[in-house]
Amino acid sequence: MTALSSTPEQMVAEPKLVGRPDVNRQRLARMGWAFTAPALLVIAAVTIFPIVYSVVMSFNNVTVTGNGFSLDGFTFSNYNLLIHASLWRDALYFTLYYTLITVVVELVIGTCIALVLERLAAGRGWMMALLLIPWSMITVINAELWAYIYNGTYGVADYILNALGLGSPVILGTPTPAIIGLMIADIWKTTPFVAIIVLAGLVMLPGDVYEAAEMDGASGWYTFWHVTLPLLRPTIALAVMFRVLQAFGLFDLPYVMTGGGPGTATQSLAILAYNALFKNLSFGPGAAVATSTALLVLLGCLATLRVFRAQVGQEGS
Amino acid sequence: MSRRSAPSQGLQRRGGFALAAIAGVAVLAVSACGSSGSSSSGGGGSSSAPATAATATSGSIVWSASPLTGTGANDARTVLINAFEKQYPNIKVTLVSAPTDTDTNRATLATEISGGSSTPDVFMGDVIWPAQFGAHQLALPLSSVLPASYWSRFAPGLVAGATYKGQVYGSPLFEDQGFLYYRKDLLAKEGLSVPTTWEQLEADSVKLVHAGLVKYGFVWEGDSYEGLTCNYMEYLTDAGGSPTNSSYTAATLNSAASIKAITFMRSLITSGASPAAVTTFQEPQAMNTFGGGNAAFLRNWDYAYSAATTASSGGKLTASQVGVAPLPTFAGESQPGYSNIGGWNLYINPHSKNVGADLTFLQWMSSPAAQDILSERYGFISTVTSVRDSAAVKASNPVFAVVPTTRLTPRPAGTPQYPALSTAIYQNVNGALAGSTSPSAAAAAMQSAASTALSSTSSGGL
Repeated sequence: MTALSSTPEQMVAEPKLVGRPDVNRQRLARMGWAFTAPALLVIAAVTIFPIVYSVVMSFNNVTVTGNGFSLDGFTFSNYNLLIHASLWRDALYFTLYYTLITVVVELVIGTCIALVLERLAAGRGWMMALLLIPWSMITVINAELWAYIYNGTYGVADYILNALGLGSPVILGTPTPAIIGLMIADIWKTTPFVAIIVLAGLVMLPGDVYEAAEMDGASGWYTFWHVTLPLLRPTIALAVMFRVLQAFGLFDLPYVMTGGGPGTATQSLAILAYNALFKNLSFGPGAAVATSTALLVLLGCLATLRVFRAQVGQEGS
Repeated sequence: MSRRSAPSQGLQRRGGFALAAIAGVAVLAVSACGSSGSSSSGGGGSSSAPATAATATSGSIVWSASPLTGTGANDARTVLINAFEKQYPNIKVTLVSAPTDTDTNRATLATEISGGSSTPDVFMGDVIWPAQFGAHQLALPLSSVLPASYWSRFAPGLVAGATYKGQVYGSPLFEDQGFLYYRKDLLAKEGLSVPTTWEQLEADSVKLVHAGLVKYGFVWEGDSYEGLTCNYMEYLTDAGGSPTNSSYTAATLNSAASIKAITFMRSLITSGASPAAVTTFQEPQAMNTFGGGNAAFLRNWDYAYSAATTASSGGKLTASQVGVAPLPTFAGESQPGYSNIGGWNLYINPHSKNVGADLTFLQWMSSPAAQDILSERYGFISTVTSVRDSAAVKASNPVFAVVPTTRLTPRPAGTPQYPALSTAIYQNVNGALAGSTSPSAAAAAMQSAASTALSSTSSGGL
């Protein structure tokens, strides 16, 4: 546990190894490396090598043959292709606002659910189990279920909208309803995940702060905004991070429900990459989509962290 | 408060970097799958294949095929394998059931074969694959291992469709083509004849729906997928257009014919002839709507007749209610309209260790013994002329009687860039059907995307 923080008050004390000389410590470290080496090698083989390789592919003209890939020469042409392709820009735009909207909505609803669950005296376990059903179901199955609900000829959503006098839009066959339909399916599935994480954070909050707030005569609303929420920031940051990672890699829901359609209205970056890689067998541009997406997620996550850290810092000072 | 938040913040920060790293892994995993074959090079490419391979009568082979029809002991694939093994007891055929989705199927095969896998030895693949698989050496050029006389048994056009740069890559297994299915009983009630023009079909559909005889008029495949390219090709060819020039170097999709085709397809929805939900229909949805008695007309492949009239397939109609005809065309064009060609070929994995046994199996599958099973028992259109013309086969299914009267149009699959070309077509047509773009804007966007696809180098495009 070394302190990474720059400000002194944020430093974390290094745990003391009482009665163990440095030599002992080094020996332990060596043993640790020795024991983990096989696992690290496996990880290197199955993840690091393919990742590096796909980055390399994104900078090459790649030809697929029956005998593997042939890479001929370093080039920026794959990235150049992306920048000039409206398909890529549309997919990027869709993925960005899809991520933004679903994560925000999930966070708000998830926090509300967590607050209710925390107050729940009886049956919390049951409620949590019920809540987790959508999240624990395989996304493809979720997607099929929602596709049935949204089906334009026998779907229940169509029936309800019709009964309410809202006409019968073909939900998955019309751009805006299709996007909203996907978002609802996503929110339905992943809000419980956010709720559980936030609940875990809520349970761990110190009781004395609330006692102090109560003694100072703070209202429930005031306590929520000025005590609970600031204390929950690290937890919320974690939930946001997980969700942004998942949402940015959006694939299975649109793949099953719309195939990226109507037109290209729900074509996410992951679907675009899949199509390029496995449909067109154009591995150079496909790898460029994957690499640039990974880079964007990385930057997005670092930015999220920075925002949350700055806010926590302000609270502290 | 600062004492509480500081440690968790530190944790979170380090956790954040780890998470960010995970993000990279997760997103790159898509392309990582494809890189598995980077360093391996399996035995034999097309170049090292024997020039005249002898057929073998022993060995074991793995056959990858997606489900055709029938289940359990009645599974068409199992029935074919059993019949083959009876004739060649020393060849053991193991079936690998391939994904039903043609794109997933292709992705699986391309990953396996480019990774150097020697199985599956023989695979069933779409008729639109030869150029792509040939260009990427993912299939053995069969014309280099089979005598020229082998190909004469097939119906005209099929071998040409399986040829890329002078080599034949696929042995035609069965053929599909588009047909118009109609409700005889409903047409009789309104005193209508079978429509021979698209305009008439549209008007009749509206009339039948307005008369309250049926829920929907005409159902077809309008979802954003390969099937929409098939449907579009029929309207485009009827309107006198073509998707590319003959050498596949330039797209010709922004033509008057193309705009006419898209405009008409969209009008089917706006006029009420087709349900708006047709933009989400693939074959099963269109089939279920018609087979369930909820549509007067259906554009579908040859399996639809038996599917509509077989209760176990979900069909609620009787033979006296269902009629089949060649597709209509636009008013003023010569009859009948064009039917798009679909179907499946057998290909051989260039890494197969049993090419001799593979060839025995592949040749047997185009023999009358196998083709009779496919045609008479399961209702597939045979690719072999002698089987197609036999009286017994013709009598077995009303669809087969229509086959000689149809006019065929292929998809522009002679280029390795076909998948991107087809995507350009179906995504933009689907957008226009949904009303998000005008037909002329869709044709322009289609042209632009298709031109990018056709002009891209061997590394392909998005």
